[in-house]
Amino acid sequence: MGSTGDAVGEPVPTSAVLMAAAKHIGTRCRNENLALLKCKKDDPNPEKCLDKGRQVTQCVLHLLRDLHQNCSKELDSYAGCMYYHTNEFEFCRKEQKEFEKACPFP
Amino acid sequence: MTEASIRNKPGMASVKDMPLLQDGPPPGGFAPVRFARRIPNKGPSAIAIFLATFGAFSWGMYQVGKGNKIRRALKEEKYAARRAILPTLQAEEDERFVKEWKKYLEEEARIMKDVPGWKVGENVYNSGRWMPPATGELRPDIW
Repeated sequence: MGSTGDAVGEPVPTSAVLMAAAKHIGTRCRNENLALLKCKKDDPNPEKCLDKGRQVTQCVLHLLRDLHQNCSKELDSYAGCMYYHTNEFEFCRKEQKEFEKACPFP
Repeated sequence: MTEASIRNKPGMASVKDMPLLQDGPPPGGFAPVRFARRIPNKGPSAIAIFLATFGAFSWGMYQVGKGNKIRRALKEEKYAARRAILPTLQAEEDERFVKEWKKYLEEEARIMKDVPGWKVGENVYNSGRWMPPATGELRPDIW
Protein backbone atom coordinates (compact mmCIF):
# COMPACT_ATOMS: atom_id res chain seq x y z
CA MET A 1 0.00 0.00 0.00
CA GLY A 2 1.13 3.56 -0.57
CA SER A 3 1.69 6.00 2.21
CA THR A 4 -0.61 8.75 3.32
CA GLY A 5 2.19 11.30 3.41
CA ASP A 6 3.74 13.29 0.62
CA ALA A 7 7.45 13.94 0.12
CA VAL A 8 7.80 16.12 3.22
CA GLY A 9 5.94 13.68 5.43
CA GLU A 10 2.76 15.70 5.88
CA PRO A 11 -0.38 13.62 5.50
CA VAL A 12 -2.23 14.37 2.27
CA PRO A 13 -6.01 14.73 2.81
CA THR A 14 -7.20 12.51 -0.01
CA SER A 15 -10.67 11.02 0.12
CA ALA A 16 -9.38 7.66 1.31
CA VAL A 17 -7.41 9.24 4.17
CA LEU A 18 -10.35 11.46 5.14
CA MET A 19 -12.81 8.59 5.14
CA ALA A 20 -10.38 6.45 7.11
CA ALA A 21 -10.01 9.17 9.74
CA ALA A 22 -13.67 10.21 9.58
CA LYS A 23 -14.59 8.93 13.01
CA HIS A 24 -11.68 10.80 14.58
CA ILE A 25 -12.59 13.95 12.69
CA GLY A 26 -16.18 13.61 13.81
CA THR A 27 -15.24 13.54 17.47
CA ARG A 28 -12.21 15.78 17.70
CA CYS A 29 -13.16 18.52 15.25
CA ARG A 30 -16.84 18.51 16.12
CA ASN A 31 -17.04 22.10 17.35
CA GLU A 32 -15.34 23.57 14.31
CA ASN A 33 -17.54 21.53 12.00
CA LEU A 34 -20.71 22.63 13.72
CA ALA A 35 -19.59 26.27 13.70
CA LEU A 36 -18.99 26.18 9.96
CA LEU A 37 -22.31 24.49 9.26
CA LYS A 38 -24.18 27.02 11.37
CA CYS A 39 -22.40 29.87 9.59
CA LYS A 40 -23.33 28.37 6.25
CA LYS A 41 -26.93 27.97 7.24
CA ASP A 42 -27.17 31.61 8.19
CA ASP A 43 -25.45 32.90 5.06
CA PRO A 44 -24.37 30.65 2.20
CA ASN A 45 -21.93 33.26 0.90
CA PRO A 46 -18.49 31.66 0.84
CA GLU A 47 -16.70 34.92 1.61
CA LYS A 48 -18.48 35.28 4.94
CA CYS A 49 -17.41 31.91 6.39
CA LEU A 50 -13.80 31.84 5.29
CA ASP A 51 -12.32 32.11 8.79
CA LYS A 52 -14.41 29.26 10.17
CA GLY A 53 -13.47 27.23 7.14
CA ARG A 54 -9.81 27.87 7.87
CA GLN A 55 -10.32 26.71 11.44
CA VAL A 56 -11.89 23.50 10.20
CA THR A 57 -9.04 22.89 7.78
CA GLN A 58 -6.44 23.57 10.46
CA CYS A 59 -8.15 21.22 12.91
CA VAL A 60 -8.36 18.43 10.37
CA LEU A 61 -4.75 18.85 9.22
CA HIS A 62 -3.46 18.87 12.81
CA LEU A 63 -5.49 15.78 13.51
CA LEU A 64 -4.08 14.03 10.45
CA ARG A 65 -0.58 14.99 11.48
CA ASP A 66 -1.18 13.55 14.97
CA LEU A 67 -2.48 10.32 13.56
CA HIS A 68 0.41 10.14 11.14
CA GLN A 69 2.87 10.53 13.99
CA ASN A 70 1.24 8.18 16.45
CA CYS A 71 0.11 5.29 14.29
CA SER A 72 1.31 5.93 10.78
CA LYS A 73 1.59 2.29 9.78
CA GLU A 74 -2.00 1.43 10.72
CA LEU A 75 -3.26 4.65 9.18
CA ASP A 76 -1.39 3.90 5.97
CA SER A 77 -2.77 0.38 5.72
CA TYR A 78 -6.32 1.48 6.51
CA ALA A 79 -6.23 4.36 4.04
CA GLY A 80 -4.68 2.09 1.43
CA CYS A 81 -7.47 -0.44 1.91
CA MET A 82 -10.05 2.36 1.62
CA TYR A 83 -8.37 3.58 -1.55
CA TYR A 84 -8.45 0.09 -3.00
CA HIS A 85 -12.09 -0.51 -2.13
CA THR A 86 -13.32 3.02 -2.94
CA ASN A 87 -14.27 4.04 0.57
CA GLU A 88 -16.45 1.07 1.45
CA PHE A 89 -16.18 0.37 5.13
CA GLU A 90 -17.39 -3.19 4.94
CA PHE A 91 -14.34 -4.40 3.04
CA CYS A 92 -11.79 -3.00 5.47
CA ARG A 93 -12.97 -4.23 8.85
CA LYS A 94 -9.65 -5.84 9.73
CA GLU A 95 -7.61 -2.73 9.05
CA GLN A 96 -10.22 -0.65 10.81
CA LYS A 97 -9.97 -2.75 13.96
CA GLU A 98 -6.18 -2.53 13.99
CA PHE A 99 -6.31 1.22 13.39
CA GLU A 100 -8.76 1.79 16.21
CA LYS A 101 -6.72 -0.38 18.53
CA ALA A 102 -3.59 1.62 17.75
CA CYS A 103 -5.20 5.07 17.84
CA PRO A 104 -8.35 4.98 19.93
CA PHE A 105 -10.57 7.99 19.65
CA PRO A 106 -11.47 10.04 22.70
CA MET B 1 -52.23 -69.12 -50.19
CA THR B 2 -55.73 -68.03 -50.38
CA GLU B 3 -57.79 -67.59 -47.30
CA ALA B 4 -59.90 -70.61 -48.17
CA SER B 5 -56.89 -72.89 -48.23
CA ILE B 6 -55.76 -71.61 -44.81
CA ARG B 7 -59.04 -71.67 -42.99
CA ASN B 8 -60.30 -74.77 -44.55
CA LYS B 9 -63.00 -76.76 -42.80
CA PRO B 10 -63.61 -80.09 -44.29
CA GLY B 11 -67.08 -80.28 -45.66
CA MET B 12 -67.66 -76.57 -46.16
CA ALA B 13 -69.97 -75.60 -48.92
CA SER B 14 -68.85 -72.04 -49.68
CA VAL B 15 -66.46 -69.40 -48.64
CA LYS B 16 -69.07 -67.93 -46.34
CA ASP B 17 -68.84 -70.98 -44.05
CA MET B 18 -65.23 -70.57 -43.17
CA PRO B 19 -64.55 -70.68 -39.44
CA LEU B 20 -63.55 -67.42 -37.77
CA LEU B 21 -59.88 -66.70 -37.23
CA GLN B 22 -59.80 -63.87 -34.73
CA ASP B 23 -57.52 -62.46 -32.08
CA GLY B 24 -59.50 -62.78 -28.97
CA PRO B 25 -59.25 -63.17 -25.23
CA PRO B 26 -57.81 -66.32 -23.74
CA PRO B 27 -60.27 -68.90 -22.57
CA GLY B 28 -61.81 -67.73 -19.31
CA GLY B 29 -61.29 -64.09 -20.15
CA PHE B 30 -58.68 -61.69 -18.91
CA ALA B 31 -57.91 -60.91 -15.28
CA PRO B 32 -59.99 -58.09 -13.80
CA VAL B 33 -58.45 -54.57 -13.99
CA ARG B 34 -59.15 -51.92 -11.31
CA PHE B 35 -59.86 -48.54 -12.74
CA ALA B 36 -61.67 -46.88 -9.82
CA ARG B 37 -60.06 -43.80 -8.12
CA ARG B 38 -58.52 -44.45 -4.69
CA ILE B 39 -57.09 -41.04 -3.66
CA PRO B 40 -56.10 -41.33 0.04
CA ASN B 41 -57.43 -38.82 2.51
CA LYS B 42 -54.41 -38.59 4.84
CA GLY B 43 -51.76 -35.84 5.05
CA PRO B 44 -51.85 -32.36 6.67
CA SER B 45 -55.14 -30.67 7.22
CA ALA B 46 -56.01 -27.25 5.88
CA ILE B 47 -55.21 -25.55 9.18
CA ALA B 48 -51.86 -27.24 9.34
CA ILE B 49 -50.96 -26.11 5.82
CA PHE B 50 -52.07 -22.57 6.55
CA LEU B 51 -50.08 -22.41 9.78
CA ALA B 52 -46.98 -23.80 8.08
CA THR B 53 -47.23 -21.23 5.29
CA PHE B 54 -47.85 -18.39 7.70
CA GLY B 55 -44.96 -19.55 9.88
CA ALA B 56 -42.53 -19.77 6.95
CA PHE B 57 -43.58 -16.37 5.69
CA SER B 58 -43.26 -14.66 9.05
CA TRP B 59 -39.88 -16.24 9.76
CA GLY B 60 -38.72 -15.07 6.37
CA MET B 61 -39.94 -11.53 7.00
CA TYR B 62 -38.22 -11.55 10.37
CA GLN B 63 -34.95 -12.45 8.63
CA VAL B 64 -35.56 -9.66 6.12
CA GLY B 65 -36.06 -7.22 8.97
CA LYS B 66 -32.84 -8.32 10.67
CA GLY B 67 -30.94 -7.94 7.40
CA ASN B 68 -32.43 -4.50 6.85
CA LYS B 69 -31.29 -3.40 10.27
CA ILE B 70 -27.76 -4.50 9.49
CA ARG B 71 -27.82 -2.76 6.11
CA ARG B 72 -29.18 0.40 7.66
CA ALA B 73 -26.40 0.40 10.22
CA LEU B 74 -23.82 0.11 7.44
CA LYS B 75 -25.41 2.96 5.52
CA GLU B 76 -25.53 5.07 8.66
CA GLU B 77 -21.84 4.49 9.18
CA LYS B 78 -21.11 5.68 5.65
CA TYR B 79 -23.34 8.73 6.02
CA ALA B 80 -21.81 9.64 9.38
CA ALA B 81 -18.35 9.52 7.83
CA ARG B 82 -19.50 11.76 5.00
CA ARG B 83 -21.07 14.19 7.45
CA ALA B 84 -17.83 14.38 9.39
CA ILE B 85 -15.79 15.18 6.27
CA LEU B 86 -18.27 17.58 4.67
CA PRO B 87 -17.11 20.83 6.35
CA THR B 88 -13.49 20.19 5.34
CA LEU B 89 -14.43 19.79 1.71
CA GLN B 90 -16.75 22.77 1.82
CA ALA B 91 -14.03 24.94 3.32
CA GLU B 92 -11.60 23.94 0.56
CA GLU B 93 -14.18 24.69 -2.10
CA ASP B 94 -14.96 28.05 -0.49
CA GLU B 95 -11.31 29.09 -0.65
CA ARG B 96 -11.08 28.09 -4.28
CA PHE B 97 -14.32 29.84 -5.13
CA VAL B 98 -13.34 33.10 -3.45
CA LYS B 99 -10.07 33.17 -5.37
CA GLU B 100 -11.81 32.57 -8.68
CA TRP B 101 -14.54 35.07 -7.86
CA LYS B 102 -12.01 37.81 -7.22
CA LYS B 103 -10.39 37.10 -10.57
CA TYR B 104 -13.79 37.19 -12.24
CA LEU B 105 -14.68 40.51 -10.64
CA GLU B 106 -11.44 42.04 -11.81
CA GLU B 107 -12.12 40.78 -15.31
CA GLU B 108 -15.61 42.24 -15.22
CA ALA B 109 -14.30 45.59 -14.00
CA ARG B 110 -11.77 45.65 -16.82
CA ILE B 111 -14.35 44.86 -19.48
CA MET B 112 -17.02 47.24 -18.25
CA LYS B 113 -14.86 50.12 -17.10
CA ASP B 114 -16.08 52.47 -19.82
CA VAL B 115 -19.76 51.71 -19.43
CA PRO B 116 -21.43 54.51 -17.47
CA GLY B 117 -23.44 53.53 -14.48
CA TRP B 118 -22.28 49.94 -14.23
CA LYS B 119 -21.62 48.83 -10.68
CA VAL B 120 -19.06 46.13 -11.02
CA GLY B 121 -19.47 42.96 -9.08
CA GLU B 122 -22.59 41.71 -7.66
CA ASN B 123 -25.58 43.06 -9.45
CA VAL B 124 -27.33 39.73 -9.47
CA TYR B 125 -30.66 39.24 -7.71
CA ASN B 126 -32.68 41.58 -5.53
CA SER B 127 -33.65 39.27 -2.70
CA GLY B 128 -30.55 39.99 -0.67
CA ARG B 129 -29.52 36.33 -0.32
CA TRP B 130 -26.34 35.11 -1.92
CA MET B 131 -26.88 32.89 -4.93
CA PRO B 132 -24.13 30.96 -6.69
CA PRO B 133 -23.24 32.35 -10.13
CA ALA B 134 -25.45 30.84 -12.81
CA THR B 135 -23.13 30.51 -15.75
CA GLY B 136 -24.21 26.95 -16.52
CA GLU B 137 -20.61 25.82 -16.02
CA LEU B 138 -19.43 24.29 -12.79
CA ARG B 139 -15.67 24.69 -13.19
CA PRO B 140 -14.87 26.91 -16.23
CA ASP B 141 -11.14 26.41 -15.80
CA ILE B 142 -11.52 22.69 -16.18
CA TRP B 143 -14.16 22.54 -18.87
